[in-house]
Amino acid sequence: MIRFEQVSKTYSGGHQALSHVDFHVAPGEMAFLTGHSGAGKSTLLKLISVMERPTAGRVRINGHDLNTIKPKQVPFVRRDIGMIFQDHRLLMDKSVFDNVALPLIIEGYSVQEARKRVLAALEKVGLADKYRHFPMMLSGGEQQRVGIARAIVTKPPLLLADEPTGNLDPKLSMDIIRLFEEFNQVGVSVLIATHDLGLIARLKYRTLTLKEGRLINDGLEEQPA
Amino acid sequence: MSLLFRNRVVEKGAQQQKGLPLWRRLLMVPVHHLQQAVSSLGELWRNPIASLMTVAVLGLSLTLPSALYVMVKNTTQIADQWQQASEISLFLRTDASEQSVATLKQQISIRNDVEAVQWITKQQGFEQFKATSGFGETLDYFDSNPLPDVLVVTPAEQARTPTRAQALLDELSQAREVQMGKLDVDWLTRLQAIVDLIQDVLAALALLLCISVILIVSNTIRLNILSKRDEIVIMKLVGATDAFIQRPFLYTGVWYGVAGGVIAWLATQLLIWWIGSAVTDVTELYQSQFALAGLTVGEMLMVWLVAVALGLVGSFLAVRKHIKSIEPDA
Repeated sequence: MIRFEQVSKTYSGGHQALSHVDFHVAPGEMAFLTGHSGAGKSTLLKLISVMERPTAGRVRINGHDLNTIKPKQVPFVRRDIGMIFQDHRLLMDKSVFDNVALPLIIEGYSVQEARKRVLAALEKVGLADKYRHFPMMLSGGEQQRVGIARAIVTKPPLLLADEPTGNLDPKLSMDIIRLFEEFNQVGVSVLIATHDLGLIARLKYRTLTLKEGRLINDGLEEQPA
Repeated sequence: MSLLFRNRVVEKGAQQQKGLPLWRRLLMVPVHHLQQAVSSLGELWRNPIASLMTVAVLGLSLTLPSALYVMVKNTTQIADQWQQASEISLFLRTDASEQSVATLKQQISIRNDVEAVQWITKQQGFEQFKATSGFGETLDYFDSNPLPDVLVVTPAEQARTPTRAQALLDELSQAREVQMGKLDVDWLTRLQAIVDLIQDVLAALALLLCISVILIVSNTIRLNILSKRDEIVIMKLVGATDAFIQRPFLYTGVWYGVAGGVIAWLATQLLIWWIGSAVTDVTELYQSQFALAGLTVGEMLMVWLVAVALGLVGSFLAVRKHIKSIEPDA
C-alpha cells in the first residue's frame, strides 16, 4: 500500500529530515509511526500526501510512483487518502455537517447522496446528534472526531493520522484509536504518527520508529529505554 | 476519480458515476455552478462594507465614461441635425422674375452633383424666420418683407465634402439671378473636429478607468483570498483542485460587476437627468425643441456586460496569482 524506497528529504537550508528510509505498509495493515519531535514523522507523512517531494528515492502508493504525479494531479491523490491532523483543521465558520461534507462537495456528489454519507460518517464517530453545531461548540475530542468523520466520509482505502491524540487524555485517546481499529477491520490501511509511547505500548501493532531522520526500528515497539 | 486506485469503486452519487444518464451528469455542472454563485453572493451579503466599497468604485468609475458617451451621442445627434447646414443657400436678387427663378431651379436640379433644390419664397422665408428666430412679433413692425427668395440646394452624396461643396457653391453663384451664396463649411468641420476630439478623450479615459477598476477588484479579491488562507489550505488538503477553490472568488468578481453595473446605470441616469434640466433651460431660450437622450436598453446592457467583464478579469488576475501560491505546509 505505502512503500518507501530509500527515501531522503533535505530541506532547502540543508536540514536533512529523512535519510534512506525504507519500509512497506501492506494493504489492510495498521501501523504506528513514532519518534521524538523533529525525528521526521511529519516529513514522512507530507511525502505521502504530496505536500513535499523527496530529494532522493521513491514513494509508492498502491504501486504508483508519486514522483511521477504532476502538480495538477495532486488533488486527486489526496482524495484517495483520508488525512487527520493534530489541530483538526476544521473550518470554524462552517457547521459540523458542512465540514464533513466538504470532500464530497469537492468530488461533486449530489446533495441528497452527500447528506446520507455525512450522517453515516457522523454516526460512526458518535456525533450524529451534533451535525448542526459549530466546531467551537465542541470539545477537543469531539473536534478530532469531526476531523476523522471528514477523513472517512469518502471511504478512502488509506488513512493517515498526524498526532491524532495529541491533546487528548488517555481515555479519549484510546477511544480514537479504537475508531481507527474499526476502520482497519473493514480493510482500510492506517498509518498513525504519534509520540505517545504509552499508548503504543498498550497495543500490539507494528511500529516504525524514526530517529534523526533514520528508521531505527520496524516492528513491535520495544519498551522505551 | 481515483488516480492511485484504478479499481477503487466509483462511489454511488459521485459526479463521475457511470449509471447516471449523460444529461443528468451534464445538468449537475450548471447546478454546482449555481450553488457556488449563490454561496458567493451570500458571502458578500455577510460582509457588506468591504464589498460595497469595491462595488461603488466599480460603478462610479464606469459612470464617467458612460455619461461622457451619452454627451457625445447627443452632440453627434445635434451635428447630424446641422448636417443640413451642408446645404447651399442661394440668395436671389430681389428683381429676379419668378419665371427666371423657376428656370434656374430647373437647371440646377438636373445637375449630377445636386440631390435636390428647394425654392423658399420671400413669404415662406419670412414665416419660417418669424417662427424659429425668437424675434416673433418684432418682425410685424416691418412694412415690407426684407427677405429675398432663396434656393436651398442639397448637394449629392459625393459632393458633400467641404471642398467639393465649396466648388459647387462657387459655380452656382455665377448665375445671373444669384446675389450671393452661402455655405457654412468651417463651422461644420470645426464641430466635427471637436466631436472627434471628445471621442478620443472618451476612449482614453474609459481605458484608464477600466484598468483601474480591474486593479481595484483584483486587490479586493486578493485580500479576500489572503483572509481565507486557512480555509484554502484545508480545501487543498482534502483534495480540492485549484479550479474548485477559484470558482467562488471568480463569482465574487462577477457579482461585483453585476452590482457595479447597476450603480453605473443609476448614477449615469441621475447625471443625465441633472444635466438634462440645465440643457433644456438653455435650449428653451433658443426656442428649440431638444430632449437629451439617455442610455438605451442596449447601451445599458453593454455597460452591465463591461462591468461584469471587468469584475471577472480583476478576480481572475488575483486568483491566478494567489490560489496557486497558497499550499499546505504544516
